[in-house]
Amino acid sequence: MDTLIIDDNPTGIFLTTRLLRREGQPADVITAFVSPVEAVAFFRQQVLTGPLPQLVLLDLNMPLLSGWDVLDALKPLEAHLLDRCVFYVLTSSLAPADAARARQYPLVAGVLHKPLDGAKIQAMHARLQQTRPT
Amino acid sequence: MPPKARPPIATTEIRFRSLFDDTPELILYQNEKATILDANRAFLALVAEPKDRVVDRPYDDFLPPEVQPLFQEKLQEAFAGKTVRFDMYAAQGNSAPRHWDVVKVPLLENGVVIGVHMIARDITDKMQAQQEIVTQNQDLQQFTYIVSHNLRAPLASALGLADLLGTEEPGSPYFEETRTHLQASLHQLDRVLRDMNTILSIRDQKSVAEAEAVPLADVVQQVVQNLQEVVDQCGGTVRVAIPADLSLRANRAYLYSIFFNLLSNALQYRADERPLVVTVTATGGAGQPTRLTVADNGSGFDQEQAGDDVFKLYKRFHPHRPGRGLGLYLIKTHVESLGGHIAVYSRVDEGARFTIVVP
Repeated sequence: MDTLIIDDNPTGIFLTTRLLRREGQPADVITAFVSPVEAVAFFRQQVLTGPLPQLVLLDLNMPLLSGWDVLDALKPLEAHLLDRCVFYVLTSSLAPADAARARQYPLVAGVLHKPLDGAKIQAMHARLQQTRPT
Repeated sequence: MPPKARPPIATTEIRFRSLFDDTPELILYQNEKATILDANRAFLALVAEPKDRVVDRPYDDFLPPEVQPLFQEKLQEAFAGKTVRFDMYAAQGNSAPRHWDVVKVPLLENGVVIGVHMIARDITDKMQAQQEIVTQNQDLQQFTYIVSHNLRAPLASALGLADLLGTEEPGSPYFEETRTHLQASLHQLDRVLRDMNTILSIRDQKSVAEAEAVPLADVVQQVVQNLQEVVDQCGGTVRVAIPADLSLRANRAYLYSIFFNLLSNALQYRADERPLVVTVTATGGAGQPTRLTVADNGSGFDQEQAGDDVFKLYKRFHPHRPGRGLGLYLIKTHVESLGGHIAVYSRVDEGARFTIVVP
């Protein structure tokens, strides 16, 4: 399962990567962007021709573009992304408003609060299997 | 015991005349057609007209058109026998617009309303104070939100890393890397708390800032001296154009912090393609507002994208460079504590110019 992490904090990326690995998908390809601007550029470039990650973990509080800004920027690509990528918002914020806001984006399957742990990763994978039977 | 004698009519008349004339609130006596039949001194002073140019004129002559219908409506209610009270924001005559708390009281004779007294109290100061409190409450809420978020972020990392540490092989490279990240997260947590301390201590001192006449050239020179090594290392130049006799009544430490942070930013966000040039200027004095500018030819930022966030706490605009998003927030807090305001103009790859005006 190819996974993309968008998080401005290198510690966040390290942690998420290690936790995903610990849950035992050694074949996983995990890539990361510390810059949300570059992440948006990546999707714009990849959407028509290139391979796309199946799972995207998106941080909210980032410089220049927040996670919400990233989702807004991806709106025009939504139709192409919907059946190929599942987005999860992965944030340290506990604001209840985030979940409601996330529901406005069809790309987003849910909001997860940091830190990620085994149970959350299993639930995510279960959801992915369910929506995309191989 | 004989009943108390009533005071002579004359005394009563003097008493009520004094109440009418000397009250600081505006008082008018009107008929049903809204004609002014009597006006007190406060009203005459506000509209700057003698009494004979006010009496027998319609009150509408002194009101802006947008509030005239409201006054008509309320006057009619008062003529129906009701005491009415309302707020409005309007000029009267040629006065500046003010907030007014207005009461219209019907005068009854044999059960019939024969006239209406209007009493208008100027509540502008109160309204402004209230607005200030609302703004401060909003600031405080925003502050709490930001703080809670910025405390939660390193804390969540630390929780996850501690969990991870339990399953990594002690002594393995991953174990060590996890431990290093854990330490970094805890340090970040500590920094956020220290930042809060700094910010709160500035806010605390707002009202008791130890103001003295600080020579601006002095402070800037001190800042430049302290940063000279970094400036030299990157081959930069700092040009200072400040009249030697120009000083500002301020807390010296605040001024130092403002210039230090602005210059540090210019150094940190310089453009790699060209040598850094920073120009610091100050004008004003002799009753004029003091105007300070710090302009650089550095990497700048996208002002349209940054919007109102430039001076907000923990907002950052250079994802690939270190920085916590504290400097500009501190500068703004300092400038505001001096009663001034700060603005920025910037273009990507051209530089940034900060302008501070202190009245």
